[in-house]
Amino acid sequence: MHTGTSTTHDTHDAHDHIHPPPEGFVRKYVFSLDHKVIGFQYFFTGLLIMFIAGSFAELVRLQLTDPNGAIMSHTAYNEMFTMHGTAMVWLVLIPLVTGALGNFVMPLQIGARDVAFPWLNMASFWILPLAALILFSSMLWGGPHAGWTEYPPISLADGTAGALWCLAIFTIGISSTMTGLNFMVTIMKMRAPGMTWTRMPLFIWATFATALMNMVATVALSVAVGALFLEHVFNVPFYDAARGGSAVLYQHMFWFYSHPAVYIFIIPAFGVVSEVLPTFARKPIFGYKMIAFSSMAISILAFTVWMHHMFPSGIAPWLQLPFMILTYAIGIPTGIKIFSWMATIWGGRIHFTSSMLYALGFLITFTFGGITGVFLASVPVDLHMHGTVFVVGHFHYVVAGGAVMGFLAAIPYWYPKATGRMLNERLAQLGFWLFFIGLNGTFLPMHWLGLEGMPRRTATYAGFAKAFPDAVFWNQFETAFSFLMAASIGLLAINVIWSLRHGTLAGINPWGARTLEWTISSPPPYYNFKKIPQVFGRPYDFDQPLPYRNTDNELDEFPEFGRVLMPIPQPVGAGA
Amino acid sequence: MAAAVQHLSGHEAIAARYHDVDPVYGETRDLRLLGFVFFLLSDCILFSSFIFAYVYLRISAPAWPPFLNGHQLPWFDTSFAAMNSIVLFGSGVTMHFALENWKHLNKAKFNGWLIATIVLGIGFLLGQAHEYSVVGISWTGTTMGASFFTLTGMHGFHVFVGVLYLTILGLQANRGVYTGSKYFGLTAGTLYWHFVDVIWVFLFFLFYIW
Repeated sequence: MHTGTSTTHDTHDAHDHIHPPPEGFVRKYVFSLDHKVIGFQYFFTGLLIMFIAGSFAELVRLQLTDPNGAIMSHTAYNEMFTMHGTAMVWLVLIPLVTGALGNFVMPLQIGARDVAFPWLNMASFWILPLAALILFSSMLWGGPHAGWTEYPPISLADGTAGALWCLAIFTIGISSTMTGLNFMVTIMKMRAPGMTWTRMPLFIWATFATALMNMVATVALSVAVGALFLEHVFNVPFYDAARGGSAVLYQHMFWFYSHPAVYIFIIPAFGVVSEVLPTFARKPIFGYKMIAFSSMAISILAFTVWMHHMFPSGIAPWLQLPFMILTYAIGIPTGIKIFSWMATIWGGRIHFTSSMLYALGFLITFTFGGITGVFLASVPVDLHMHGTVFVVGHFHYVVAGGAVMGFLAAIPYWYPKATGRMLNERLAQLGFWLFFIGLNGTFLPMHWLGLEGMPRRTATYAGFAKAFPDAVFWNQFETAFSFLMAASIGLLAINVIWSLRHGTLAGINPWGARTLEWTISSPPPYYNFKKIPQVFGRPYDFDQPLPYRNTDNELDEFPEFGRVLMPIPQPVGAGA
Repeated sequence: MAAAVQHLSGHEAIAARYHDVDPVYGETRDLRLLGFVFFLLSDCILFSSFIFAYVYLRISAPAWPPFLNGHQLPWFDTSFAAMNSIVLFGSGVTMHFALENWKHLNKAKFNGWLIATIVLGIGFLLGQAHEYSVVGISWTGTTMGASFFTLTGMHGFHVFVGVLYLTILGLQANRGVYTGSKYFGLTAGTLYWHFVDVIWVFLFFLFYIW
């Protein structure tokens, strides 16, 4: 770095600021500051935890093959679905969609050499395994039992395990907040010259909206579980009604975060779909600005709807109507997106790659989950169905059929960029069909079972099976199909590892895509861009030449634009 | 360029030093400033969420201060807290002067004002400790105690961290880490300290005036 005030702009040269490459195994792969390696670390950690949390889900499904409970005690069942939900939400989905995708793709797409605060990024990642360790260690003390929401007063019976649950969620909350802050600054300040807000790829808009929610909402959750932790450990009466506390207060604070949290999963998936659909339909995205602004609208509206989770919790009736209407209002920006995507593929030359199949599957399953969400937003319907598996079906259509499908669309799409080799297409397509059929087979019957009144979160349903004898068949049907989804994820893991060595070489741009990451080599060097490109337009106009100049694989006919620097790892708040 | 700066008067010289650093430093500083402001924003939400909890519990309580074992709890001592608040707000003023003197390259005065800030911060913490010992309610007894000790304790923890932070910044400044044009750490420390002051304005109103 230059010293003193006497440095002039003439001597400044962008090449000076590429640091020497990291040396040694630890610096390169373990405590790496490189956003791409950190993205990989998030990816493999998330995938590993997904196997653990997924096997919990399979145990839950196996238990329900018999109306009297097939394999485990009621306590063990409660522990299993609680751990499944907690681990999937906080340790799998959020790290995968924001940590893995956001870290790997976002700096490449804005033409930056790294995120704004590489050291903070590394710290955010290493908090994740720590939180996972704390969460899973709670099972040594019997595990939490009150569901992934851990409502008091029930959760207060969990003792040490409940306190450890709070600690784990608090810890992962710190990681999310730091990632959100880091991404906000990166997107606001480090875009390549010429990349104005309305020239950003849509995935960047999605990441920005997500980072905003991560930064703002996660702290509210940390406070909710922090106060629960204080109640567990020091007996501080925030939620204890006997001493003037209020259990509903926890629900307010929990859902103020956790409703935005579902958008934290889904909006990156929206971003992925907005990249994949135009690329494989070979058509400009329809309604760029509407898609971008509806991401922001969703992220802002997300903070105004939390009480729709609490209609049966005894909130004031005059509050129910506005929250119902606001929840309906979220359907508007979401609908704008769905119609824009349909208009994008309309009349395009569609290439049915595995990535495109996942994106098209996303359109079907996510729309279905969104529509049942509109049902549940209606107060009378919600009061009827809140405690039934209809809610489970809706939620999994949105999360597995939306967020996970979007994530699975991203893997074959960016895998060639990340590793330099293509995924095995045949295995990936097989994986798609297994996942799509398994998803619908598992969660579709929950809707009519829920309408008939099958309760959720119960280890047995003998009474319900007596009233509705088909329930046993449908539950066994769901369990059978759930294994197709498990097989699909297993196949994905095999494919990811096999293709690292044996995949065909990808080259710079295997898909003919147009965002900035496809102008550099695959895998990218640790500094990403040797020269920082200049951007002249949106990346989706397939009939136009690429809107970039000064890219790495271009002849040196344009001067350098040394504006974007390689961030220097240093503490944020101290030091010159 | 350094020669040109010498002809300028006070504030113009500061502005020139601020904007005329080398571009690498300037860009990094702007990133860190935005990042630090976002950190303070998320910290603000930490306090607002606990304040929400306090307001929620207070307005849904049948009586405030609440009853414990048949006796209504006492109100807090507003006059003592007001004096302690003046100590904290005074430390905000001294911190402002410390940073301004650094910008004007007046290191001796910077040290004086910074030490005054640290002393006032410690004074505030001692005042809080005294308040805790005489307040007559407990953390675990009622929601009043729960909110009061959690919120003011969290604020006190922020002040404590701030005292350590300013001490480190002072040591760094005297070791020559900062110059007249590169002093982001001092800016961040000042922002943090003002943030802690502003949070106290809300806490003072909510616990001692409302």
